[in-house]
Amino acid sequence: MIEEPYRWVEAIANRREYIETQLAAGSPIAAVGYRGGILFLTLGQARQKIFEIYDRIAMGAIGHPGDIERLRMGAIELASTEGFTRSAADVSLRRLAHYSLSPVMKSAFEQVYGAPFLARLLFAEVGAHPEDDLFLRVEYDGGIATNGATFAQVRQNFAVLSGTRQSTELMESFLKTEHAPGATFEEAFKTALDAWSIGHLALQKDDAKDLPERATVTKYRQEQLAATGIEAAILERDASAAIRFRPIPDKEARVLTGD
Amino acid sequence: MDKFPAAFGQNFSGASEDFPALLRRKDLLSAAATIDRAGRGPRSREPSWAPTEATTILAFKFSGGVLVAGDRRATAGNVVVYDRADKVLEVDRNSIMAIAGVPATAWEMARVLEHSFQYFRRTQLQEMSVDGKVRALSKLLRDNFGFVMQGVGMVVPIFATYDSNSSPEARLYFYDAMGAQFEATDYAATGSGSPAVRGILYYANHWGEKSLKELDENEAVAITLRALDTAAESDTATGGVDRTGKIFPIIKIVSRDGITTLPEEKIAAVFKKSVA
Repeated sequence: MIEEPYRWVEAIANRREYIETQLAAGSPIAAVGYRGGILFLTLGQARQKIFEIYDRIAMGAIGHPGDIERLRMGAIELASTEGFTRSAADVSLRRLAHYSLSPVMKSAFEQVYGAPFLARLLFAEVGAHPEDDLFLRVEYDGGIATNGATFAQVRQNFAVLSGTRQSTELMESFLKTEHAPGATFEEAFKTALDAWSIGHLALQKDDAKDLPERATVTKYRQEQLAATGIEAAILERDASAAIRFRPIPDKEARVLTGD
Repeated sequence: MDKFPAAFGQNFSGASEDFPALLRRKDLLSAAATIDRAGRGPRSREPSWAPTEATTILAFKFSGGVLVAGDRRATAGNVVVYDRADKVLEVDRNSIMAIAGVPATAWEMARVLEHSFQYFRRTQLQEMSVDGKVRALSKLLRDNFGFVMQGVGMVVPIFATYDSNSSPEARLYFYDAMGAQFEATDYAATGSGSPAVRGILYYANHWGEKSLKELDENEAVAITLRALDTAAESDTATGGVDRTGKIFPIIKIVSRDGITTLPEEKIAAVFKKSVA
């Protein structure tokens, strides 16, 4: 039946709707660049969502744990073999996402007899300077959104991942106005935390078109911090060590919240 | 349904496979060399070229952690090939591998080992245990034994690591070419110049003013330089300290805070004061 083009399109549309529903509850993840590196932040207590991929690359993900795991393993496998046969400097997020992850996710999505990947991924690669930082989001259908690797776009030094489009867009518009490129780590941490709160708040409502009031965000943030754990990790820009990824324990993160 | 087109396996299972196995699956690491029943490799004969081997490396525990040092000379037969070889390699944040033997094999081994530890941490989301790390090196040596039997690729490493969760915290191991691992309580030395070094360290540990583990950093560096200088006195394959070229041994210290490489000026100062 899906040999007919229309049926195929319909099947794909159904599948898209199904996946979107499955991902809709996913707690947001914010990745923001600051002077000394890149910070990944989310709140939750269910399971780990921020992972180390290679020396300079980290990943955040929402979706089905089994699918996230398969993609994570695949990414680590590729990066590690590349880093081993060539060098760590040859491992690039751009190639990893465009040549390997995206085609695989696309074909899994479009082969309607097989299972698609129920996952949405957020990657970041720390560069020598803030303007070299690369942020990249890979969708379940293989679609890629970057922070602007072309000249036509104004480069953003942040990226977000959330369950719904609405939540994603609100987080992005918040960071666009609130997050400064030269921010310190402490500033970036607070902005990321607020971005998370806005994104999570938007998931609870059906029609969150505008950014909520400041006081609402603060109140929501404090409520959530009391109930759940902070999961954060940084990619350090400091080139003295090869491995830049460092998880920030909840205890250390609590101090930075300012609440 | 056909397989995925990209270079991306469908069956990722980090749980069942270690990094060398991954490399073999992707044809990036040669298969373990085989040996026949008589214990010989595929073609056991004298190599037509002299492999670069022989050196002196040493390591001992002192008050500030574990000190690992190696001379800088690389030789092939009676020819000095290189006088700035780095035989003390960092494999992760708190593990050092020092190598005596054929550099080509040893550096490749260090590279595999380094990636193995990272790969394990990244896929399994936990650090590999000290025993796991020690065993990983042992396995690489074992896989390499076929080449050793053919007269090429002999490597005899020292492995030093610091683990704040184990007791004792500082751990020091040396290996034989077949992969047997021996944990050293105080010190270890391998390579062609090691008999002299072992004599010195044994003497210092038993009848010196202080035992090795009580030495402070400067004293530890002094005895290291003296030992390597003594080894170089009788062993042509050991560089010791080149007084004219100002080439000093590589000395690294692993402690609770990670690994520090002693700067050349510091070694030079100790050398001037206590050795020259």
